[in-house]
Amino acid sequence: MSNKDIAKLETRIYSNSNKYSIRQLLRDSLKGYKSSFYLAKQLAKRDITSQHRQSIFGIFWVILPVLMNALVWIFLQSSGTINLTATAIPYPLFVLIGTTVWSIFGECLNMPIGTINGNRGIITKINFEKEALITLGFIKIGFNLLIKLGMILFFILYFQVVPTVSIVLFFPFLLLMMLFFISVGIIISPIGILYNDISRFIPIALQLLMYITPVLYVVPKSGLMQKIMSLNPLSYIITDIRNTLTAMPIENGIFWLFFLLVTLFLSLIAMVVYRVSMPIITERMSA
Amino acid sequence: MKGEVLIKAENVSKKFAKSLKKSLYYGVLDLISGITGKDQNKTIREDEFWAVKDISFEVRRGECLGLIGHNGAGKSTLLKMLNGLIGPDEGTITIKGKIGALIELGAGFNPILTGRENIYNNAAVIGFSKQEIEAKFEAIIAFSELEEFIDMPVQNYSSGMKVRLGFAIAAQMEPDVLIIDEVLAVGDLGFVLKCFKQIDKLIPNTAIIFVSHSMPMISRICSQVILLERGRVDFQGIDVAKGVNKYYGKFTNNTQSILLDDKVIEDFEFKIEADKNTINWNDDFKFTISFVNLKLTKMPYFSISLFDKENKPIALMYYKEKSILIEKRKYLLDFCHKKMQLSRGVYSINVTVNQSFNNNIIYRINNVQQLFVDSEIEDLPTFLLETYLTKLN
Repeated sequence: MSNKDIAKLETRIYSNSNKYSIRQLLRDSLKGYKSSFYLAKQLAKRDITSQHRQSIFGIFWVILPVLMNALVWIFLQSSGTINLTATAIPYPLFVLIGTTVWSIFGECLNMPIGTINGNRGIITKINFEKEALITLGFIKIGFNLLIKLGMILFFILYFQVVPTVSIVLFFPFLLLMMLFFISVGIIISPIGILYNDISRFIPIALQLLMYITPVLYVVPKSGLMQKIMSLNPLSYIITDIRNTLTAMPIENGIFWLFFLLVTLFLSLIAMVVYRVSMPIITERMSA
Repeated sequence: MKGEVLIKAENVSKKFAKSLKKSLYYGVLDLISGITGKDQNKTIREDEFWAVKDISFEVRRGECLGLIGHNGAGKSTLLKMLNGLIGPDEGTITIKGKIGALIELGAGFNPILTGRENIYNNAAVIGFSKQEIEAKFEAIIAFSELEEFIDMPVQNYSSGMKVRLGFAIAAQMEPDVLIIDEVLAVGDLGFVLKCFKQIDKLIPNTAIIFVSHSMPMISRICSQVILLERGRVDFQGIDVAKGVNKYYGKFTNNTQSILLDDKVIEDFEFKIEADKNTINWNDDFKFTISFVNLKLTKMPYFSISLFDKENKPIALMYYKEKSILIEKRKYLLDFCHKKMQLSRGVYSINVTVNQSFNNNIIYRINNVQQLFVDSEIEDLPTFLLETYLTKLN
């Protein structure tokens, strides 16, 4: 081998230095996402096929929880057990879209901790671009998302709601929301991996949060709940995503612009945090 | 010509915490200092110890470094740092080229999926691209010799079969640096031999770090060794035999165990006629056996065998059986083996007392004595046979 070839060999230096440049980290992170895409795809294929191979109803399990939750509320409302403010679109559709979007939001938030924990075996043994795990989680959420969207599409057709142009905003809004919550999930994941308190707390917090977000009912015109919901940024997200699907006007344009900036900023932080913290977490997982 | 240095470690150290609570707490502190870019606390904190301390070495292309030491000496921690899984707390590791690691075979396997599907999973995890996998797919199946079972779920594979498939995939790597941890222990002999043939093929173009508890394998492959003891270097150098013998020296077991006693004889004693049981190479090996006869009428046969440090039987001290009538009293027998040509090291002696050669065991004792052979030549094979150059043509 000539000297020229030697120079070409990729050189890795591992040291205890804490000094890093954010630009370099971001560049490495992007490179990581890019180079590990095939691995992520392969692992996603592995997880999805193995999950469905050992099941008779397969993808039905993806929509069942959402459907059940919605059915309970549809029953409560239609039987007159509870009295809710009237919705502009048929109530079943309102609830179904609400609970679906909510479930995606929950999946995104839990995903980083879940995927990292689920792949401890390879993290502590094999050196690969850890960004693959985030892509892996994203693909799996995306797969479930397609199934859920199929269900929603079915109900939209059933209730004969004709979407307007605003539907083109549905995917950008949804992706932005997913990006935001995945970023938050990544930022809390280092601590969440070390202490399982966080992954236990998330479902409880989500449950509580759902009732102060217009998932199952609209924002009331006045009163305490109206104040709480208007302070809750999730209200704007859920409402507008639902609006794009159901031919309703976008209510909070300014909010979305602001949300876009925050999300971009958060996702950069998440990339840096993830890259810096993975070796430290690996050490504590295998120690 | 010497190859270029591919692996370089300079004063590498790593600390671990003994308690989980502390470990997690320190993890949080390290996370904070890591993210904020502040200097980490480099000293030992409460409950911490150095799992690896001040290790330095270089491995060139074509060389193999053996890491030995008993369990918990820090070998795996060092490997994890070399593999880039965890960062060192002190020092620097520089690695050039593509790294291949045989640390965990079959990582990423899913038990429900078939062997065929899992080849893609594992190959992707260890860094193959899709094209590479497809190009090597047939070679992988052929190497694993699992054609018949390749479409069966991996959960029905035996552990040996999983290792076969895992190694077959990993063997297709063409790394510059190869890290091998004790992974081949489960395969059957035929497959282990096949694996070593594959590793032999890689050696000339690769810098290898090899961890094993099998000293014959270490001495077969390695060009230098590091013996670790509590995270520190106990021996380091190119004299592999010396390092291996030092490793063996850590496990001297000198407890006798009587496995069988028919109460036909008593007060059995075995003595080596040498100071501290140590003889020089090519000396005569003299020993005595004494016993008190209780029930025998004929002199029994003493089957004396020597075992090496790996507890492998290496020799039987054979003598011609003589038919001698005996009384009920104490007997003392002298034995001699002329020119003991075992190589330097420790050998343990097992004795079986038979009524006649290879027949009717009446007494059996393991590790009755340990024989130390001293020699100027430090060598690994069991025998150092005196040979003469007789003619030059």
